Amino acid sequence: MSETVAIGTPRPRAPRPEELDLKFSESAVAELDALKTHYPDLKSCILPGLWIAQREYGGWLPPEAIAEVAFRLNRSFAEVEGVATFYTMYNTAHKPGRHMIEVCTCLSCHVCGAYRIVDYLEEKLGVKLGETTPDGMFTIHEVECLDACDRAPVLQIGDQYVGPVTSEMVDKILDDLRKVETPSAVQLSDAVVKVHLRDGDK
Amino acid sequence: MAEMKLLLEHSNDPEYATLKGYLAKGGYTGLGKALKMERQAVIDSVKASGLRGRGGAGFPAWIKWNGIEKEITKPHYMICNADEGEPGTFKDKELMENTPFLVIEGMTIGGYATQSKVGYIYIRGEFVDACRAMRKAIDEAYANGYLGKNILGSGVDFDLYIHTGAGSYECGEESALMSSLMGERGMPRLKFPHAPLPTVAGLWDCPTIINNVETYSCVPFILDRGGEWYATLGASTKNSRGTKIFSVSGHVNKPGNYEVEFGTTLMELLDLAGGMKGGMLKACVPGGSSVPIINAADCERAIIGYEEMAEVKSMVGSGGCMFLNEHTCIVSFIWRTAQFYANESCGKCTPCREGTKWMFQILDRIVRGKGQPGDAELLVDITKQIDGRSFCGLGDAAAWPVAGAIRVFPEEFEYFIKNGRSMVDSAESRAMAPKWAQPAYS
Ligand SMILES: Cc1cc2nc3c(=O)[nH]c(=O)nc-3n(C[C@H](O)[C@H](O)[C@H](O)COP(=O)(O)O)c2cc1C
Ligand code: SF4
Ligand code: FES
Repeated sequence: MSETVAIGTPRPRAPRPEELDLKFSESAVAELDALKTHYPDLKSCILPGLWIAQREYGGWLPPEAIAEVAFRLNRSFAEVEGVATFYTMYNTAHKPGRHMIEVCTCLSCHVCGAYRIVDYLEEKLGVKLGETTPDGMFTIHEVECLDACDRAPVLQIGDQYVGPVTSEMVDKILDDLRKVETPSAVQLSDAVVKVHLRDGDK
Repeated sequence: MAEMKLLLEHSNDPEYATLKGYLAKGGYTGLGKALKMERQAVIDSVKASGLRGRGGAGFPAWIKWNGIEKEITKPHYMICNADEGEPGTFKDKELMENTPFLVIEGMTIGGYATQSKVGYIYIRGEFVDACRAMRKAIDEAYANGYLGKNILGSGVDFDLYIHTGAGSYECGEESALMSSLMGERGMPRLKFPHAPLPTVAGLWDCPTIINNVETYSCVPFILDRGGEWYATLGASTKNSRGTKIFSVSGHVNKPGNYEVEFGTTLMELLDLAGGMKGGMLKACVPGGSSVPIINAADCERAIIGYEEMAEVKSMVGSGGCMFLNEHTCIVSFIWRTAQFYANESCGKCTPCREGTKWMFQILDRIVRGKGQPGDAELLVDITKQIDGRSFCGLGDAAAWPVAGAIRVFPEEFEYFIKNGRSMVDSAESRAMAPKWAQPAYS
């Protein structure tokens, strides 16, 4: 389920219609139009639409992104926000660091030492699970089973699974990631959008 | 009995994921035969095969297919449940990545038999590689007349779309999956007998069939070689037919997917996976996180089959088989299981929303060495409040592992609560515990 936001944290206000500043690129609009033909109902495009928005807005879904999806699909802001906050892969709470490292600590990974990987990452980056490094480079998260338990312990970074990981591998992964410009959430969202589209749609 | 590869026979061959390679290995003969049969004969063939749903519940596939309206008043839909979220399971991923045409052919046959013109494959958002493999295969099938209008000149139409999830275990539950596909929060809907079956009113209130990836992948073989032939596999069991893929993980030498005939023993499966690693066998969760854990003695006598597994008080489930060695602290294992369900409960109904959190809180204080006398009984009591009283299967699935572990390993829970530390005391068990729980392991 969705990330918990501390009680008392003010929810960002939804933009009013006159404040809407549409950001979808031309190709994103074309993708959304192609997706609309896949379902008898516009509402079904909310999930794929949010994936497009997460890519277009740099790897997360600020209220403006949700408002744009709502506008383009003719739904209410509240409805689309309600959907977006249910799913863990939509980053609605805050903008993640450039690279998101998701550590699976679920059953098989747990019994294969996933918490040692968490310790190592926390120590090396100086942040706790759920936090972003001060330079905005890395966010680390704990996730539930990624269903690649044969490779336990597993990490997910963008659309890639890595495993079984060791502390030495973590060093190399971090070094390699520093050189990658595209934020992992953008890369992942783009990959997910692409797999929806048929040859005929492109 | 050794490995019996039917679905996974060519899974190591990259060619098999292309249409050409698939055809060369006899692919699409099942669909060709089905298209020449009456629709009812296709369903009867699935009935004769004894195929049961591989998504977890083991419900006979033909009953669903037969239950769909024969007169078309509304469009019919076909859904493939590829949300695979059950901890320990990774078979659907392999099937989609390596044998995507089996899934497509199975769904197309189902589409013909149930007069559905549109199918959706709901794949979990994390499985990008599986999505890509499916995408490639679907596009190839379209380009060669195996999907779309007038398939193979038969006059039958079938369109197939991919829809991805976005991170939610609950979306594997069939009615929650449909909610998610219709653009809602992934929460389940009222079920039969309080509401019509999905075969009457499912997706967009239209008749809908939903089956697991592995279930569909069996269908081409059934149509090609006949339901009676398929039913000879697993004939030694009471009512389980065919083969089942088990995703073996945990402390084994060769984790991976292994396909075996029903009737194989659990120890033969362990042998296939290269035997235990790092210590003796202590326990096994044979069918994914939702099923009760069994101890080593029961592992010795467990036979793989839906009814046979019940004899050791466990289940085949989705086939996510985790073997645990002697250094595993069962309390810590169950603590992590409880955390999973507490995180994934959708929050719709009170027994599960509250109960999963309470179970987690109590287990959390136990593994922090702060357990209180009576905690084990309290946990058992909570499982009884959840089991059978929650809105969907997730509640039951959260209760079973906790209740099962306390039944099978009561001494470990008692020891932990009484002494504030784990009964399993070794370097290996310490290496697995989270840092904050370390004092309880030394
Ligand atoms: C909480 C929960 C999660 C489930 N997750 C999955 C899943 O990931 N994949 C799946 O195929 N079935 C899953 N199921 C079972 C489905 O509800 C449904 O029974 C299945 O898709 C039917 O297909 P089958 O008859 O081919 O098994 C889940 C059920 C529950 C209660
Ligand atoms: S049992 Fe759990 S997952 Fe199912 S409806 Fe209730 S709260 Fe949601
Ligand atoms: S437990 Fe980590 S991938 Fe399954």
